Amino acid sequence: MINRSLLVLVLLAAIGFLLAPIIVVVAASFSGGAVMSFPPKDFTTHWYSEIPQSFYDAIWVSFVVAAGCAAMSVLVGVPAALALRRGRFPGRGLLSAVCLSPLMVPALVTGVALFQCSLVLWDLTGIGLGGTLAGVMLGHLTFGVPFVIRAVIAGHAQFDLSLEEAAGSLGASALRTFALVTLPILRPSIVSGAVLAFAMSFDDVPIALFMGGGSATTLPVQIFTTVQFDLSGDVMAVASVVIVLSLLVIVALSRIAGTDLFFGSKQ
Amino acid sequence: MTRIAAPAERRAPWFLALLPSLVVLLLVFGLPLLELVYVSFHPTGGPAQIGPGLTLENYTVVFEDRLFADVMARTVGLGLAVVLCCLVVGYPVSYLLARATGSWRGTAFFLVTVSLLVSSVVRNLGWFPILGESGVVNWILTSTGVIQTPLRLVGNIVGVMIGLVHAELPIMILTLTTVIRRIEPDLEEAAQSLGGGPVAVFWRVLLPLSLPGVISGSLLIFTLSISAFTTPAILGGNRVLIMAIYIAQQFQIVLDYPAGASAAIMLLVTAAGLTWAATRIRARGGEAG
Repeated sequence: MINRSLLVLVLLAAIGFLLAPIIVVVAASFSGGAVMSFPPKDFTTHWYSEIPQSFYDAIWVSFVVAAGCAAMSVLVGVPAALALRRGRFPGRGLLSAVCLSPLMVPALVTGVALFQCSLVLWDLTGIGLGGTLAGVMLGHLTFGVPFVIRAVIAGHAQFDLSLEEAAGSLGASALRTFALVTLPILRPSIVSGAVLAFAMSFDDVPIALFMGGGSATTLPVQIFTTVQFDLSGDVMAVASVVIVLSLLVIVALSRIAGTDLFFGSKQ
Repeated sequence: MTRIAAPAERRAPWFLALLPSLVVLLLVFGLPLLELVYVSFHPTGGPAQIGPGLTLENYTVVFEDRLFADVMARTVGLGLAVVLCCLVVGYPVSYLLARATGSWRGTAFFLVTVSLLVSSVVRNLGWFPILGESGVVNWILTSTGVIQTPLRLVGNIVGVMIGLVHAELPIMILTLTTVIRRIEPDLEEAAQSLGGGPVAVFWRVLLPLSLPGVISGSLLIFTLSISAFTTPAILGGNRVLIMAIYIAQQFQIVLDYPAGASAAIMLLVTAAGLTWAATRIRARGGEAG
């Protein structure tokens, strides 16, 4: 209908716009001159050997926090999702909304709320959660748990309950049915919820900024605070490593689970 | 044969299964938010201190303080501009992707959405070599003689806007593609065969039918834009005073916790209200479609 070549032009421009900063990060990490200047002076890999130790530490912190967040979220989120889908108790709709409500709150607001609360906790009990791995991880549960619950609820929509009844009538115990029938059927949605929780935790700045710091500085926060003062090649090198790693994970996961893993909940 | 009790019939265990989530979310989310609300109704008691007594002052400041009114106006303006850019670019792209049948469709879809999967901090870094004073854009513009002195494209609201459009364009495209795909292509053909030109078909067929999606997508993008912190902080260099930056500064630099708390609550109420409205509109659009 509308001039097709014009549409294709807009599409190509949009793709160029969306990919440009990602390509440029990788290009800048190999540039010998000042990072900000174009055209690049010469090709170098020395930024990669100059990545400060603090970034390696931060990658480890991010990994531990994200893995912990994903594991905890699955542990409490999966039973909750099953309860919300199958249980018949009063206020189920309201409870479902309550469980998903943290996703409606800007992460910055959650971050400052957690920060305030950790100060009060410190004053009252002497327990200091601010600046600890546990503090950041607990903060990330505010989106991890709802993500898992939402993914499992969505995956449960196509669940055929007669499969469980069949297992039961064939003599399987409730536990055995759960482990050998229920969980395998729900596995894709549990995995996608866990991956989402992990990825969002690995990406988050506001909550980790207000709950972390010191030895609990995650990679995004480390990059975030570094570029406030100085943007040099070593940061670009770290950023390139992150890009390559996330692309590898994307390719691997889409081979295993299909691209629905990422876009299923949004479409 | 023994009757198998459907798990749903047992009331208590299911509620118990829900309990861990409720407790966790109450502790890490509910209580902190309540604490924030509590702080927001107190006067400040000096740096990082909360004064005694209750007050509404932190909220009435909206109507009195010129600076805070500017912050809100800037935030809303930024949100509207980002929505507009995402719509203007996103609609044609979504239309093409929704109607495409070729094998390139999957590839194009992947290329449009892949940036969503790259860390937001990392994505933002890439704008500095592009938009900086000696960056690609300024290099092209000065070496072709279009401008003499480099433009300031980063460290101000222009940079923040570009960064936010970059972050949210894929989300807009995902939303609109789904909506447009649900509109029967036959309707467009019918309108055309009745003599409607491309413009008439767009205004009188496509747009009205996709309006619920356009509105809910726009509300979503607007909400994400006014709530965003990472992108405005990096690309605005902490100089673009919008709500999120203002809130963070109250807690980190100014140390006026009640002022930060009340601004955070205002942002929360706005964001949650708009998200709720977007969900309602999408649900209703889904019923009609």
